[in-house]
Amino acid sequence: MAKIEFRNVVKRFGAVEVIPDMNLVIEDGEFVALLGPSGCGKSTSLFMLAGIYLPSGGELLFDGHVVNEVEARDRNVGIVFQSYALYPHMSVRDNILFPLRFKKTPRDEALTKVKAVADLVRVAELLDRRPGELSGGQQQRVALARALVKEPQLLLLDEPLSNLDASLRLSMRTEIKSLHEQLGVTTVLVTHDQIEATTMADRIICMRAGRIEQVGTPDDLYLRPSSLFVASFIGSPPINLIAGEAEGGTVTVNGVRFPVDGASGSLTMGLRPELLRFGDTGFAGRIAQIEPMGREILYVVETGMGAVRVLEQGSSAGHSPGEEVKVSFLPENSLVFETERQKLIAGAHVRAPG
Amino acid sequence: MAAQTIPLASTTTAEPAADWDALAAQARAVRRTKAVVLYAFLIAVSLPIILPYFWLVTIAFSAKTGVAETAVLWRSMAVVVPAVVAFWLTAALAQGRRQLWIGIAAVAAFAVFAFALLVGPDLHLGNFIFLWEPDFASVVRSRIGEVKGAVQFPNVWHAFGNSILIAGAQTAIVVTVASLAAYYLSRFQFPGRSSMLRSLLVLHAFPVLTLIVPMFLMLYWIGLLDTLSGVILVLVAFELPFAIFIMKGFFDAVPWDIEMSALTDGASRRQAFVSVVLPQVRNGILAIAVFTFIRGWEEYIFVFTFLIRNSNWTMSLYMYWVRDDVMGVDYGVVSAVGVFYLVPSLILYMAAQRYLMQMSIGGVKG
Repeated sequence: MAKIEFRNVVKRFGAVEVIPDMNLVIEDGEFVALLGPSGCGKSTSLFMLAGIYLPSGGELLFDGHVVNEVEARDRNVGIVFQSYALYPHMSVRDNILFPLRFKKTPRDEALTKVKAVADLVRVAELLDRRPGELSGGQQQRVALARALVKEPQLLLLDEPLSNLDASLRLSMRTEIKSLHEQLGVTTVLVTHDQIEATTMADRIICMRAGRIEQVGTPDDLYLRPSSLFVASFIGSPPINLIAGEAEGGTVTVNGVRFPVDGASGSLTMGLRPELLRFGDTGFAGRIAQIEPMGREILYVVETGMGAVRVLEQGSSAGHSPGEEVKVSFLPENSLVFETERQKLIAGAHVRAPG
Repeated sequence: MAAQTIPLASTTTAEPAADWDALAAQARAVRRTKAVVLYAFLIAVSLPIILPYFWLVTIAFSAKTGVAETAVLWRSMAVVVPAVVAFWLTAALAQGRRQLWIGIAAVAAFAVFAFALLVGPDLHLGNFIFLWEPDFASVVRSRIGEVKGAVQFPNVWHAFGNSILIAGAQTAIVVTVASLAAYYLSRFQFPGRSSMLRSLLVLHAFPVLTLIVPMFLMLYWIGLLDTLSGVILVLVAFELPFAIFIMKGFFDAVPWDIEMSALTDGASRRQAFVSVVLPQVRNGILAIAVFTFIRGWEEYIFVFTFLIRNSNWTMSLYMYWVRDDVMGVDYGVVSAVGVFYLVPSLILYMAAQRYLMQMSIGGVKG
């Protein structure tokens, strides 16, 4: 187990600066997710942790020791790749044994360890097969076993679930999380899928273009996104963002007036679809589209300010397309951002009109 | 189907119902005709390639008097050509897999029987005298009463050994150097990488014979003329560019992830290369190994130019001198040497066919 620290870490590929200045502390035993769109530098950070990329500047610390130049093989890091990267010419047993070969573990002890870890991820009956004969989910488990067998001080997961089908993804999510709870190994998950990040990680590091946008618990990121980027990246269906100009305590958008507290100037209001309600008051619109999602129903409401998404509990639609409705919300459920700097204005709220 | 109440039906009422069986029968007939014509064409173009080999083998095992006799040849042809035509007709007329196999077996049995009857009595191993009689040239000449002037041939096994040595050493060097070079070209960025890749192909396109005089001089100056190692070096130099190019394709197909995974699993770069990357390109290595070996085995121009002493003869030189010295005296012995020379590369080709096929595809299959 280890505590990980990025201190002013820079990574350049030639002239391209992928990570300009990264500062981050990951506590011992924590499960964190690096979340961001592709090309945001999350995988690069992961490969620096693994020792595959050398940082171009700054310091990378494991338990307070600078490891910038420590070779990958000496870091004792387990990594699960998106492609699983199993060795196709070896049996599952040899795949899992592979890391122990270089640790000079005695054969008997190594085989015992392989057995134990194979039981842990439930691949014990597959040990004699080749990776090519396994399903995606099984390969995933073998890759996990191989990463865990060396008892790593740090476990890195690079988009581990993106090659699995939907139902398998759901069960592996639960499984990886419970593995982490059992083993307590510091784990870093890289993903572009906000649901994976919010369901599995203790803390999420949301990245954008090589910079850390926000660090916090899933709740922090969802309820108090520090920027427009985080607000729009997290949440499904996505948050409604309505931009307007505040003057004299009111934001006016296309003639609809929202009373605002604690902010002025160019603002963007953020309203989560599930916190919007149909009612007698609020802003007016017409239902354009209905998308049943099982437990919930998503309404796309056409308003003078553009399309607004409203998520309602329940499985049967209480409204029909073309219906005129009014949408309201509680002030404390609203977020207000500065349009210019794209930052959240803490403590500012808007009220529903009317 | 019965209750058709599609409003658009009015536009399609004029269409008569298609006779599916007739269409299927027609398609079957067309496919069959195409196959028959195709096979006829293939047989016609492959006969001129196969017949010389067939003659070579037949003469090697049947020639007796030493002069160019054709009686056995024509008799064996009388068996083989009808057999090929019969195979083709069987394949064209057979109404199913079972009939096809029965037909082929019948034709094969009949051909073997006819061959044994017409050609069998004339077969013998006397022409392979060179395998056990080093001074066979004198023996062969003495049959027609002329002994003097015969070349003193080295033992054929010596030439065989030289050929194996040249082909083997060339293969070992080419495989080692090509694997390492191709890995580097595939994985690392360095200045001049793309121009080096381009030049590999250009080098391969270069007609090597244009270099034979300068190379003769170079080998003379560095003292490697008339040595096997000199020839090996020259052959390696010419074989390498293509081998590197082929191997690069195989290495390109090995995913980075596997290597990175090995590195984080505790392997050094060299260990990762040996235990994880190399096994993925095994087919490529086998392909270039077989290919290079056969190139070295059949090499003629360079050994002819750069090797002089008869203790350095390879099989191709041995073959050349046998033809030069005994030809006109004994046809059969020349053919027998040819067969002896042919067999190892034939065996190797057949054993490695699978890998050679993959060379053009150049990839790891999951």
